[in-house]
Amino acid sequence: MTALVALEAVCMRFVTKSNPEYPVFGGINLSISAGERIALIGRNGSGKSTLLRVMARIFAPSAGNVHWAPGVSVSMLSLGLGFRPDLTGRDNALLSCLLLGLSRKEAKASVERIAAFCEIGAFFDEPVRTYSVGMRARLGFGSALMNRSQVILIDETLSVGDTFFREKAREALEKELTEERAMVLVTHGEQQVKRLCRRAVLLEGGTMMADGDPGEVLAQYAALSASQA
Amino acid sequence: MKTRESVLTFSQIITLVDTLARFHLKGEAQQYLLGYFWWILEPLLYVAVFYIVFEKLLQNRQPDFLYFLMVGKLTFIWFSKSINQAANSLDGSKGLMAQLNLRKEIPPLAVIQQGFYRQFVVFGFLLIFLVFNGYAVNAAWWWLIPLILVQALLTIGVGLLAALLVCVRLDFRLLIQLATVFLLFMSGVFWDLNAITDERLRHWLMVLNPLATLIDAYRQVLMLGASPNVGKLGWVLAETLLLLFLALFAYHHLQFWVARKVVSR
Repeated sequence: MTALVALEAVCMRFVTKSNPEYPVFGGINLSISAGERIALIGRNGSGKSTLLRVMARIFAPSAGNVHWAPGVSVSMLSLGLGFRPDLTGRDNALLSCLLLGLSRKEAKASVERIAAFCEIGAFFDEPVRTYSVGMRARLGFGSALMNRSQVILIDETLSVGDTFFREKAREALEKELTEERAMVLVTHGEQQVKRLCRRAVLLEGGTMMADGDPGEVLAQYAALSASQA
Repeated sequence: MKTRESVLTFSQIITLVDTLARFHLKGEAQQYLLGYFWWILEPLLYVAVFYIVFEKLLQNRQPDFLYFLMVGKLTFIWFSKSINQAANSLDGSKGLMAQLNLRKEIPPLAVIQQGFYRQFVVFGFLLIFLVFNGYAVNAAWWWLIPLILVQALLTIGVGLLAALLVCVRLDFRLLIQLATVFLLFMSGVFWDLNAITDERLRHWLMVLNPLATLIDAYRQVLMLGASPNVGKLGWVLAETLLLLFLALFAYHHLQFWVARKVVSR
């Protein structure tokens, strides 16, 4: 199967005050094909978010190559992309859609779908600063679902809101994840990995320590965490 | 499924820049009791302060000083405010840049577009004010179109470069603020550049500071009903296009660098 995104010996270094060549990770080889649902796990600071940003063309790798299949779109599923608290939910939803690359016409049509998904009633036309945390999460997730990219990168976005909303978000995401699309999910939630993903990758010590069945990789991660606790 | 490149098309960029600008203005207006009225009120208060200091306290001898000051100050504020806001725009878009492969020109352009909208209203007010105070509409006023266009391009070029400089080091934010204050004194906002008797000095002042030439040209057109010096205006246009080229070249090559610099800050 042709890879939508392929990383070859990708390496990332950051400039810090104490180290001008601080290594985040190196030698990452990863291929993502249509229909795949990959969990990216690892401890804080292991470079998971940075790796997503390399895949999303936000960062260029310090070394190595990233190949994107022709015409493929890759982007992060972000809650509250460009949201301004002074604007209404409707305005913010429209802005978010435009940032995701929808045309004005498509964005306007999507706003009504977002309103239906959020279920926040008349608050949709009120400034976001008046929203509760849960209402913001609903609006943010509803807007993020308008992301039409083929490869969706999720950085712990699903851990927001109450239990009811998390379940609704998971179902909505399942519906969106057709076999033509792929997902990479960064999470610390074991249940999310087991329910949503078919493959898991463990980042540890700046390298890709494991890649395979989610259950096995999670066990390896748990053993690693226990040994270093 | 319809696939999309993560890079926006030119028309999508224009739509996004315009929507970001309009929504920002809307959000900003909602924070204040006087809302959109501040678009006019703020620059007029600046004019009032300068008028009191120079006309009433320092007994300025410049004829029609109020109109002279209004033309200079209202056009200068457009430039200075846009530059200072654009300078902070990339750094202020950290959250967006961490999540999205966004063309890095978009945040500064959106801020500059906000300035265009505000200035459109300010220019309308200025022209009406001048007409009500005896300055007749005449054919020279057509020159306002190229003058505004050149100033808009100059603002874009300088604004884009200012935003990049703040990415390099945050210290540039303070230096840019200082530079706009320096420009206020060097652009003939409250004094007449033509009063400089040393022709060589006047020439170089206008060559090195395109804003001084523009402000002088606005006064020629609006207060004297005369055409501006086309040669000088052509020089300003050349400088502006050079700045724009430099800015666009830099952005073309520094898209990833800007993201890493801003996100990891």
